[in-house]
Amino acid sequence: MLCRSHRPLADRFASQYDAHRRTATLLAAKPEGLDIDMLTPAELVWLIAAVAKGDEPAFERLYAATRAKLFGVVLRILRRQDLAEEVIQETYVRIWNSAGRFNPAVASPITWMASIARNRAIDVVRKRTEASIEEEPSAMEVAAESPDPLARREMTEELKRLLECIGRLEPERQKLVLLAYYNGWSREQLAAKFETPVNTVKTWLRRSMMDIRECLGL
Amino acid sequence: MVTDEDQLALAAEYALGTLDADERAQADAMIAADKEFAALVEAWGLKFGVLNQMVGSVEPRPEVWDRIREAAGLSGAQLPLLLPETPQPVVEPPPAEITPVADRGNIVAFPREGRRWRTIAAATSAIAAALIALVVTQVVRPDLLPEGLRPAPRTQVVQVPAAPAPAPAQYVALLQKDGGGPAFILTVDGASRNFTVRKVGDAAPEPGKSFELWVISDRLGPPRSLGVIGNGDFTSRPTLAAYDPNIVKNATYAVTLEPQGGSLNGKPSGEPVFAGKLIEAVPAEKR
Repeated sequence: MLCRSHRPLADRFASQYDAHRRTATLLAAKPEGLDIDMLTPAELVWLIAAVAKGDEPAFERLYAATRAKLFGVVLRILRRQDLAEEVIQETYVRIWNSAGRFNPAVASPITWMASIARNRAIDVVRKRTEASIEEEPSAMEVAAESPDPLARREMTEELKRLLECIGRLEPERQKLVLLAYYNGWSREQLAAKFETPVNTVKTWLRRSMMDIRECLGL
Repeated sequence: MVTDEDQLALAAEYALGTLDADERAQADAMIAADKEFAALVEAWGLKFGVLNQMVGSVEPRPEVWDRIREAAGLSGAQLPLLLPETPQPVVEPPPAEITPVADRGNIVAFPREGRRWRTIAAATSAIAAALIALVVTQVVRPDLLPEGLRPAPRTQVVQVPAAPAPAPAQYVALLQKDGGGPAFILTVDGASRNFTVRKVGDAAPEPGKSFELWVISDRLGPPRSLGVIGNGDFTSRPTLAAYDPNIVKNATYAVTLEPQGGSLNGKPSGEPVFAGKLIEAVPAEKR
């Protein structure tokens, strides 16, 4: 089990970092079956604070706890393993260098980290020409099996709130916004998908952003 | 504070990712030069960032960590490289708390008398304007990547328990009262059409009563019961599997208060207490 192989690392934490002994012991004492990825936001905040001080084991642990999430986010947008790996590399180097900038009062650790990764992925995808993106095969068939994983995924109050606001948009625009966010689609791609001129997409996007802004009270 | 609508829209679209490369470069210059604008962009980025909670995890290859360490200039001396060297493609079994409730999975065949409920369905779709639902298609899977780009099979898909398996289309509806927060989150697996109702509010049926879930669609006539919602945090059932996917996607889902154990005659005995619709947000993409 993944968990077992990480335990020595957590134990090392306990012996090396007296100041953080309580947290570290807590980590080490996690019951069998709880994976490293199950770190709570508070534990991630602590890890990022340690990373800001140049703590390499903390960085490794942070990476282990968050890599799959961030990779999922960027792979969805870039659709290519090699590009996604490059973006992940740049993202974590950036996190290593700017962990001190993280403000837990403003966002959860994973939201902050995923935003950095996604932003970088968008940079990459926008700089590539549309043609080179379109070349990639998109075997987008969905496979079955897993019993409703989404039901168990965390859904924070902030997410519910944003979804409520997106849900107030017309159905087409909901789709527009979410396709743009999740798949990193350009206006041109969205225009093709919705069979409408790019300028119309531009107007819809702008209107949708303003509606969401008003709804969120930003 | 930035009040100019063009700038506000620019910041939002930057965060959404829909600016083209030139506009993005311009916005980057503004971010570097204008602290307020930079803060606005970051705020939008974090607002949208919560959407990533819905994205499934995919394990990167172990060598990515080596490259990060090198690029970040880590000493690495004291680390035996535990993580990268011991990839364990383990699929965590689903957490035990998600036990399908073992009472009757009652799909009741209704006589044709759906008129009243059709009205209610119409009324709830009006309510549904304020309700939100979301579809996330978990399409990003290493096994969908082009042949040559796949990682070695041994490390191909490492499932990470917190965000269990990359999944097929996932439909989500927040079931709520008009203007109130959601009481239940309904999730429907696009492939199996199994659904799970997750209790999120503090709504509880009066003593001696039960909450019952119904699917309402013009195409079905009267509402059909999907069963009683159990007392636990999660209630999972396969009872939607019998329905046409298009009905499942477009129906209204409503919760009514019923006698304990569910409606006695297979019909809802009152108006919906909570309701919501599934909205297609990220469809399985076919470009």
